[in-house]
Amino acid sequence: MFETATQGIITGILMGAIYALIALGLSIVFGIMNVTNFAHGDFVMLSMYLSFAVGSALAWDAVATPLITAPLMFLFGIITYYLLIDRTLRQMYVVQLAVTVGLQILMRSAALIIWQAQPRALQYSFIQGNIQIGDFQILTSRLFSAVVSLIFIAGMAYFMNKTWAGRAMRAASDDLGAASLMGVNYHKTYALTFAIGSSITALAGGLVMSFQQTDPVGGIRFGLLSWAVLALAGLGSLPGLIVAGIIVGVVESLTVSFFDPRSRLLGVYAIFILVLWLRPRGLFGRR
Amino acid sequence: MLEINNLNSGYGKVSVLRNVTFHVDQDEMVAIIGPNGAGKSTLLKTISGLVRAQSGEVKFENDSIFCLSPDQVVRRGLAYVPEGGRVFPNMTVLENLMMGAYSNPGILKTGILDEIYTLFPILKNRSAQFARTLSGGERQMLAIGRGLVSRPKLIMLDEPSLGVAPKLVDEIYEKIHALKRIGLTVLLVEQNTGYALELADRGYVIENGQIAMEGTAAYLSTSDHIKKFYLGL
Repeated sequence: MFETATQGIITGILMGAIYALIALGLSIVFGIMNVTNFAHGDFVMLSMYLSFAVGSALAWDAVATPLITAPLMFLFGIITYYLLIDRTLRQMYVVQLAVTVGLQILMRSAALIIWQAQPRALQYSFIQGNIQIGDFQILTSRLFSAVVSLIFIAGMAYFMNKTWAGRAMRAASDDLGAASLMGVNYHKTYALTFAIGSSITALAGGLVMSFQQTDPVGGIRFGLLSWAVLALAGLGSLPGLIVAGIIVGVVESLTVSFFDPRSRLLGVYAIFILVLWLRPRGLFGRR
Repeated sequence: MLEINNLNSGYGKVSVLRNVTFHVDQDEMVAIIGPNGAGKSTLLKTISGLVRAQSGEVKFENDSIFCLSPDQVVRRGLAYVPEGGRVFPNMTVLENLMMGAYSNPGILKTGILDEIYTLFPILKNRSAQFARTLSGGERQMLAIGRGLVSRPKLIMLDEPSLGVAPKLVDEIYEKIHALKRIGLTVLLVEQNTGYALELADRGYVIENGQIAMEGTAAYLSTSDHIKKFYLGL
């Protein structure tokens, strides 16, 4: 009992760090641009397929594929922004909703046409295997992914606080009109924000591909998990995002250990609803 | 320096400004006064690009800036301190000031922050604090400071006394007076007519979106219309 719980918590913490990374992409787009990208999970799905394509074509390890997929997803983000998102900003909210949900369906269908329905996976990564600590096992691939995720989130905090582009993004988030009076061109700042959000999914996709397969509808799970993490964390706090990611990861993992693997997201949704009900601005949010 | 001819502007189909014509010369302080809702703020917003003009001519240093976006206008050397200051609440005082240099980061190396701290010493003490923790008066000083960081040739101030505790209003106006002394051209929009006419060289009265009167501050202060409707004398 105690062993199972501890093992579940360890696995959950590691997965949670990756969930925090995935949610970071959603969080900056929502927090800075006030755009709710319902296709976010499908950006992760596309990234995983790109990882699969790059990894199998070049015989690369999954965790190395973001070197190529991140620039590709950055470009994909810029194109998506100017082609679709930019045009929805001055429209009614329902337009944005329809466009991102439409994008989700488009991406899913395209993945189905290109890669067919059967799941795809890459050869096992160099970081396969376990680390044994006492009675507990840690999957090396998950540990590696968690560490990379946390380092990246810390790097993002540095970027937001210490660079001109990062400060412009925060200023635009606080007051778009005032930011433009400072010389911020919001189209460019928003395009950069969306592209960064999109390339974060490339990094996350590469990491997840080191221990998991992908299929055309696999994005739903990541999208919903991201919303749960974001609702729990609230906007504006990166440490809050990590804690929320870990809570979601641990709850999911314990549900699998003690309840039923098929209902892995049940506990996560329960918290999601509770938080929205009791504390809509999240545990760490500032608004 | 700034020349506005027959400017029409508003929101959507609603017209607020009708055929507004005025000018600001180099080194002048010009006040625009008028009642609530007359279109004073709309005028500054239109010049700065936040509101899109419908027709007319807006020239700054003999170049047209008509319908440029706000980020392009500020690059010409025309800063706008909006109503209420609109500082970035979740950024520190220092970060807010740095955002003022966004269009020209190199300017931070010219000692501009020290100059602003000399003008507003309170900002130096508060530099690491989030702007949301500042009082109304401090926010207004931060907003003016942030507008000055880019070393604009002309600064437009929109109701700098709004939301400021009465005992601080005098201080804010002293600072604005100091701006004039350091050779800045200022366009001031103010509901507090007494203050505005005391500081400014010239003034325009805007009523129902149109220029109703214009003249030197001395002339306007003695006009019966101004005395009766604006100064309450």
